Amino acid sequence: MTTACSDRRIPDNSTLARRQFIKASAMAMATTMAAGKATGALPILPAATVVSETSLDVVWNKAPCRFCGTGCHVQVGVQNGRVVAIAGDRDAEVNKGLLCVKGYHVGGILYGQDRLTHPLLKVGDHYRKITWDEAIDVIADRIMAAPSRFAFYGSGQWTIPEGYAAQKFMKGGLGNNHIDPNARLCMASAVTGFLATYGVDEPAGCYDDLDHCDVLIMWGNNPAEMHPVLFSRVTDRRLRGEQVLMIDIGTRRTRTTEKCQHYLEMKGHGDLAIANGIAHQLIKNKTYNRQFVEKYCNFKAPDDANPNLHGRTITFEEYQKLLEPYTPEYVQQVAGVHAEQIVMLGELFGNPNLRITSLWCMGMNQHTRGTAINNLVHGIHLLSGHFGRPGDAPTSLTGQPSACGTVREVGTLAHGLPGGLVVSNPQHRAEAERIWNLPAGRINPNPGYHTVLMWEKFCTPSDQGGDIDTIWVQVTNPGQSLPNLNKLFRPKADLKEKFLIVSEVYPTATTQLADLILPSAMWVEKNGMFGNSERRTQQWFKMVEPAGEARDDCWQTIAVARRLFDRGLDGMKDRDGRFIFDVRDQDGNVVAVWDWEHYYNVNVDEFLFNEYRAFSRFKHKDLAPYAEYVKARGLRWPVLEVDGHWRETKFRFVEGADPYVATGKGIQFYHSSTNDDRAQIWFHPWEPPAETPCDEFPLYLTTGRVLEHWHTGTMTRRIPQLSRAMPGAYLEIHPEDARQAGISSGDMVDVESRRGTIRLPAWISGRGYPPQGTVFVPFFDEMHLINDLTLDAHDPFSKEPDYKKSAVRIKKASGQ
Amino acid sequence: MRRVWENYRVGLLAAVMVISATVVGYFTGLQAPMSRGQLYDSYSNHSVEPPEADSLDATAAIVPATSYRELADVLRARSSVKPRTLEELLPPPRIPQPDSPQTDLPPITMSDKTFALSMRAINRAFNGAPPTIPHPIDQLSDQTCLACHGTGFQMSSLRVSKMSHQMLQNCTQCHVEQQPRHLPATEFRASTFVGLPAPLEGPRAYPGAPPQIPHTTWMRIDCTSCHGPSSWRGLQTTHPCRENCLQCHTPAAAMEQVKIDPQPRFLEPPNIVGDQ
Repeated sequence: MTTACSDRRIPDNSTLARRQFIKASAMAMATTMAAGKATGALPILPAATVVSETSLDVVWNKAPCRFCGTGCHVQVGVQNGRVVAIAGDRDAEVNKGLLCVKGYHVGGILYGQDRLTHPLLKVGDHYRKITWDEAIDVIADRIMAAPSRFAFYGSGQWTIPEGYAAQKFMKGGLGNNHIDPNARLCMASAVTGFLATYGVDEPAGCYDDLDHCDVLIMWGNNPAEMHPVLFSRVTDRRLRGEQVLMIDIGTRRTRTTEKCQHYLEMKGHGDLAIANGIAHQLIKNKTYNRQFVEKYCNFKAPDDANPNLHGRTITFEEYQKLLEPYTPEYVQQVAGVHAEQIVMLGELFGNPNLRITSLWCMGMNQHTRGTAINNLVHGIHLLSGHFGRPGDAPTSLTGQPSACGTVREVGTLAHGLPGGLVVSNPQHRAEAERIWNLPAGRINPNPGYHTVLMWEKFCTPSDQGGDIDTIWVQVTNPGQSLPNLNKLFRPKADLKEKFLIVSEVYPTATTQLADLILPSAMWVEKNGMFGNSERRTQQWFKMVEPAGEARDDCWQTIAVARRLFDRGLDGMKDRDGRFIFDVRDQDGNVVAVWDWEHYYNVNVDEFLFNEYRAFSRFKHKDLAPYAEYVKARGLRWPVLEVDGHWRETKFRFVEGADPYVATGKGIQFYHSSTNDDRAQIWFHPWEPPAETPCDEFPLYLTTGRVLEHWHTGTMTRRIPQLSRAMPGAYLEIHPEDARQAGISSGDMVDVESRRGTIRLPAWISGRGYPPQGTVFVPFFDEMHLINDLTLDAHDPFSKEPDYKKSAVRIKKASGQ
Repeated sequence: MRRVWENYRVGLLAAVMVISATVVGYFTGLQAPMSRGQLYDSYSNHSVEPPEADSLDATAAIVPATSYRELADVLRARSSVKPRTLEELLPPPRIPQPDSPQTDLPPITMSDKTFALSMRAINRAFNGAPPTIPHPIDQLSDQTCLACHGTGFQMSSLRVSKMSHQMLQNCTQCHVEQQPRHLPATEFRASTFVGLPAPLEGPRAYPGAPPQIPHTTWMRIDCTSCHGPSSWRGLQTTHPCRENCLQCHTPAAAMEQVKIDPQPRFLEPPNIVGDQ
């Protein structure tokens, strides 16, 4: 624990008064200025407040930012038990002292006036405050009634210990695999892409590649708004006189496009054809890296008879043959980009002297062929040998702070176990049962329901096959972020037998249908650990007390587990009859961490993390002991002890950088799915999207995010500076489409798909510029739920839905 | 023969004139703006004079690209900085510029200072937060920001602060607009966040000693951004003629996130024994 943790003094009234005075003076000044009387009476500070106060009484401590997967470190300034300021952490390698506007205002997320502060139980059409004890009983009752019809829905915002506790509770305790995270909607296709290519998940490269690349290609990605710190890390290199060629491949012009030398405006799913077009060029021009391919790669094509992530092995000649149709002209025809642009990309990849980094995020992942396009982009990097040198890397970004740390590494997916193990593998189950000290056979071998299926079952009447009756949601807002809400969320309202438990910090679209609402502690109100997009595991300490009766999500899980243990549920006992969360103090005495009074008597995070570490060895994702992360601004795994120091790994599979690569190997894909140290270069054909515009629904709808708001906006919309900058959702539309529909900026427009309708204002040529035939709507606004319209069609392997390509029609709203 | 030549010359002249007129007319025609009546100015529609709803033909050409001729009007319409009264057009009280290093400005009063800090607090969540943008912005370009904030200046109705940090691209990464034109205001959620206030002054060793810098200097490499001539009077330096600020004003190590130990350490004192 640091000194900051013990700083829980009552706010000092005189200091508060002075701050409020300054604010009040500011408002008074603003008013006088507005009235055109800038020389009005000046505020005179009362004598007592004229003190030489410096900022020295503010206690600063490190924490990773609460928002995206970049994983910037912030310095959190705490004064009198409240967060009062945020600064970029200059010691952090990720952000080097810089932040984005969300990061600078992250302290404000704790202080929305409508924080949930009491457990609330739905009684009829209203809610009643109940005690935590009653709330835990309600959950225990629901689970005891039907343990196999209970599901846990979490997220990539779970801290690593929270996700690990939920994972152990479900799979190790209840023997129930119905646990899935919202990350299924976010980066599941990246996971299957890595698995199918390298045999093991997560990027080989890291953010250092951004400092070394000569060419940066962004595939359906707008990092200028979504990962601004990483984006400006590259653009700022140009200010120092370095040459970086930036290429944007996208379906709409964005702030990213403005900084790029080349823009390839493609039709939805055009990326499949573009990647194949590049591979075709490399082979046609004989500029692929023959030595690299012969030493380190195999070729694969989908096995249509038995679709899986192994596919069928093909020869180089077969691969060449499959690529034959993808001439620049054919790519132009199906992808809508210029043939010369494909030739240009082919030449860039064919130049071995360049360092090329590819970045992608939701454009490639939220895709009904998400696994395929992920494979193809890895494929062109491998085929051209643009892999394994600093600056040569195919790197996927994540949208949540711990999508990698909690979801991918802790394996909180319906099929996963910690450390990259899977429930369907008997050896993996045995390993997990050994580490968890569980009786053999406790873990269920059948994967649970993935996100879309879980919510579909929850929204189907129990007597019609809807075999999920209770869902406990933690740290996410599915009532806004699920696709096709009219199918996957809203039906719950009329199903009396279903019960929705939501642990939240603010009222959301999800709590609207909740039967039990639990107030949660957030961010620096609790200890935590995150894992960012570049395999970096980060740690922070609790710095302020949670609002009202809010408590840690991890405590909530453990408290429910203990209640079930006390009621005699065998699953909550290990092989020796002890509670599955058997936390001990230094003297070996059991600590009653299920009792909130004692939860912080020990560091539960440290206990859970050090237990979880044992899993990290299986797939060579070794983690250091908890204490090492306290000292660091995050460490990139595998972290191995060398000469008494814990050494992180920047580049995986590369000799010299990755300690697991054998000497003399150069590059070794030591988790190869073909067991020959080789990566797989896949061929996948171009296929059209699941839904394309037609006469009835003539426009493509694509959805996404904006700089100011993070995901469903529940946190950022409570920060005045961010909310004022971007108050609500809007329809981004091309001027010609607007003209044809008789719409001008600010007009209310009805947008309709086969699944729903919403009404929102148009903004022509606004933040971004969609091409004719495409409209864009951001999804942060709870008053304009664009996911009423989106499609729930999903990738066959990753089960990740496509939020980017729905067919819609628009009409100027009547009465305008 | 000569007569034929004369006729030919007249004909040639006529042909040249016709062709010239055609060519000039063609290019003039190309450059001529569209008929004003057909244009539907989206800017004036929304910010200057909202037209009657039924006076507009919805199928008429709408949302046109702004022509160069109209650009000035459009930009003026977009700017929220519009002098409302004649008084506001008057220049602000001139800051006396010293002629020599000996002539310093009069001292700044506490009320000057609190006024300046209050004005500064209007568009900052806390001291150290990136200021928000109090005017409409170009959604895509940094160049428009730099045009004014690269140097900073003050004029009759406008105070433009100079960028305090080194040149960085992607201004909107940290600075966001506070009154977006195109987005309707919605209900905002109240916040109880109270930001760190700006310090009133830095610690001094004794009255008259140069104060230590009471804030971090990270992202604040140009002191004149806040303490220079384009800033509020209460924050301005009393001695603008001295350029090397850090010669007399030292940053506080505790606030600079320095990697060295911010607590000074010393050798053991001499071990004196036997002196009662």
